[in-house]
Amino acid sequence: MNIYVCVKQVPDTETKIKLNADASGIDPAGIKWVLSPFDEIAVEEALRLKEKNAGSTVAVVSAGPSRVVEAIRTALAMGADTGIHVDLPENADTFMAAKAIAGALKKESKVDVIFTGKEAIDDGAAQVSQLIAESMEIPCVTVAVAIEYGAGTAKVKREIEGGAFEIVETTLPAVIAGQKGLNEPRYATLPNIMKAKKKEVKALKAADVGVSASDQKIRFKGYQLPPPKQAGKKIAGDAATQAKELVRLLHEEAKVV
Amino acid sequence: MTWQTFVFIPIAALAFGYSGYRFKILFRMMKAHQGKAGDRLKDVPARISTFMANVLGQKAVLQKRAPGIMHFIIFWGFLIISVGTLEQFTTTIHQAANFEFIGDPAYRALMFLNDIMSLGVLLAIIYAAYRRFVLRPEGLGKSVDANIILAMTSSLMVSILLMNGFHILGVQPWFQDAMPISRAFSEVLAGLGLSQDTNAILGGIFKWIHMLIVLGFAVYIPSSKHLHLVAAGPNTYLRTLSREKGMTPINFEDETVTQYGAAKVTDLSWKDALDYYSCTECGRCQDLCPAHNTQKPLTPKMLIVDLKHNMYRNKANLLAGKHDEVSHIVDENVTEDVIWACTSCRACEIACPVFIEHTNKIYDIRRNLVMMESRFPTEVQSVFKNMETNASPWAFSSEDRAKWADGMSVKTMAEDQNIDVLLWVGCAGSYDERNMKVLRSFASLLKKAEIKFAILGKEEQCTGDPARRIGNEYLYQTLAKANIETLNRYNVKRIVTACPHCYNTLKNEYKEFGGNYDVFHHSQYIAKLIGEGRIKPTKSLDATVTFHDSCYLGRWNNIYGEPRSVIQALPAARMVEMSQNHDQAMCCGAGGGRMWMEETLGKRINVARTEQALATNAEVVASSCPFCMTMLSDGVTEKGMKDKVRVMDIAELVDQSTP
Repeated sequence: MNIYVCVKQVPDTETKIKLNADASGIDPAGIKWVLSPFDEIAVEEALRLKEKNAGSTVAVVSAGPSRVVEAIRTALAMGADTGIHVDLPENADTFMAAKAIAGALKKESKVDVIFTGKEAIDDGAAQVSQLIAESMEIPCVTVAVAIEYGAGTAKVKREIEGGAFEIVETTLPAVIAGQKGLNEPRYATLPNIMKAKKKEVKALKAADVGVSASDQKIRFKGYQLPPPKQAGKKIAGDAATQAKELVRLLHEEAKVV
Repeated sequence: MTWQTFVFIPIAALAFGYSGYRFKILFRMMKAHQGKAGDRLKDVPARISTFMANVLGQKAVLQKRAPGIMHFIIFWGFLIISVGTLEQFTTTIHQAANFEFIGDPAYRALMFLNDIMSLGVLLAIIYAAYRRFVLRPEGLGKSVDANIILAMTSSLMVSILLMNGFHILGVQPWFQDAMPISRAFSEVLAGLGLSQDTNAILGGIFKWIHMLIVLGFAVYIPSSKHLHLVAAGPNTYLRTLSREKGMTPINFEDETVTQYGAAKVTDLSWKDALDYYSCTECGRCQDLCPAHNTQKPLTPKMLIVDLKHNMYRNKANLLAGKHDEVSHIVDENVTEDVIWACTSCRACEIACPVFIEHTNKIYDIRRNLVMMESRFPTEVQSVFKNMETNASPWAFSSEDRAKWADGMSVKTMAEDQNIDVLLWVGCAGSYDERNMKVLRSFASLLKKAEIKFAILGKEEQCTGDPARRIGNEYLYQTLAKANIETLNRYNVKRIVTACPHCYNTLKNEYKEFGGNYDVFHHSQYIAKLIGEGRIKPTKSLDATVTFHDSCYLGRWNNIYGEPRSVIQALPAARMVEMSQNHDQAMCCGAGGGRMWMEETLGKRINVARTEQALATNAEVVASSCPFCMTMLSDGVTEKGMKDKVRVMDIAELVDQSTP
């Protein structure tokens, strides 16, 4: 099988996000970049599928500035075979990223399945999976927690609202977006880390995949940090007094009741 | 020459020939190991001196009083009696080839010693049997092998006494007055009323019995745990000499290396095989093992025995050089649980009378599991990831590294490099709330002593110790090299740290990568400042204090006195020791990366250690390690003693007492 995984490089959750001087973007200094955790799940799923089907290959695709090649290398160290990097500007939106990735995939001779994470943990947009599928005119199943593979089909258990699950069946190729619980991503072995340094990562320009500046649908007008968290308040007294005070605060200060 | 000559020579040749053949196989198996053992020959004077002390002087064996004395007698007894046995061999081959040529007083002395020792050894063996069958200490276990050896050695001594007794009656040798035990024994035998000729013949028969058992012994030894008789001496000579030993680095630049750590016994080194040969299964390692004592599946003794048996099972592959076909170490005996249970407290190595090194084997097996097979407790993965992205085992941003010092105007190296000493904070001191307070106390003390110090702040990264002990040498080296680069860039000379794990790594393990610093643990530094009068603890503590030894301070670095001297410098502090202290102290359970692993098997180690602390009725449990602090605090809370017993770092105690 020709298996593809789309990944995004995101700031680590512990990184203190700072804005640049004119608040036109995030200050890249001091950011620790990692492979988005849901995308790790997608890579793991691809590797497990490969291990079950002899002769399969896993290719990792990422679109963004040159730094995202590190995220591709991380996936290669986990065991993926090759990488494709589409060079996009720092602030590329979801539409542009999806079009670039779909463009790169369309250039491949055969695509059997595409895995993604259900969302990236930085912007949390959860759009790129569906947009890739739309652009390639193939089905898309998101928030997958279990996948059963058939001949040219996949039965996917997906999480829906209210803590319930639904099971859908799709033909392949399709885009399947992984949710936490689908698997436990592996920790790269050292021989694989060493090998990953030498694996091929194909470099594509935006123009190579038919992407131009007009594909940027969102214009970023400015950035703001969320207001700093206020210190909590401890309400003293017995239960009745505490309840009374709580209602008063919710009504008068928080204005929610 | 008599008929005896022609009977004895072929029997002896056969026995020694077979024994020699078995030893050759053992030697070849040892040589089939591919791992590196390091230089085991340099520093000859120190090696000779440890040999004298611990082999001839039996120092390490004597750490345990009664069994030690027992072994001392058996050891020296056998050495001396061997001379007599050799004479039996030579006189059997050629009657006149006795050792009387050494002259009268010398020969008499030899006979005297032989005589005394044959009784001494017999008594020691009776004690050994009493210990094995009546006292039955848990660590000794049951062993058919040991019973066979006991039967053989006791028969050897009895046959000597009978031989000499009848010999005195039958031949009346000129030196018989030098053999008081045998003479007294011969008087008993005289009661049998046998003729002089019969006595002489019986003397000869028991001589043969004695010689045949000796030959049997030679044949039996190579397959017995009593192989230590041959192996323990060399193992002591070739031991790792320094207490402050760092782990062996792996050279990741070397592309010819394709195996990291030990998947198979042959990935370990010849010295590890010599360790197995030296093990006599005395169980001292197991007696002190915190994992074993809290019902974990690890016992250091069985680890060595299981590795030895794994090697024996693979004998054919080892001898044929078929490394690829050797079976794996991790199997139904040495399970993953066994390997992950180790806290690397090193109590086993300190207890071992023949200097077996258990920890390096566990480290090597872990390295294979982690780096080659990606097999480790699941909770460890996030630890590795945190260390990779945030240079800390806990998920915190480097930006918050100096938060513990908020409001204390502690400078970073970037701000001020004119310092006496660099304060290495460590991840626990940076991010763990309880340990942040310890750092504040220590910084306050340094200020009171007017020491110029700075920290690295966000430039400090985890030393890599947790990764290294868990088996991720690659991650360790990444962090170590980054830290060394930073420290060398600032031209740092002296470092003080409140964390024994950081201390051990900075002091003993950065050398290999070009980091050479004068490193102090804060207990040493505070002791020094008190000694110099720069800190004067004057406020009364008025409490009973017990001190918990951190493994990485004590057993790994031999620091026991300084933290105790610091506590004793506190006015009105009353020191009490726990039942297990100094190098016998029990680990808190956090070493070897266990700090970041769930403890699901058996009793919790920290609770067991806390119970020992509480048994002293101390009001303060003093610690000198952030992980011990966490473990003991949790233990005290678990035992419901939080309101009565305080767990305090020594720096906090001194700071409180210093105006």
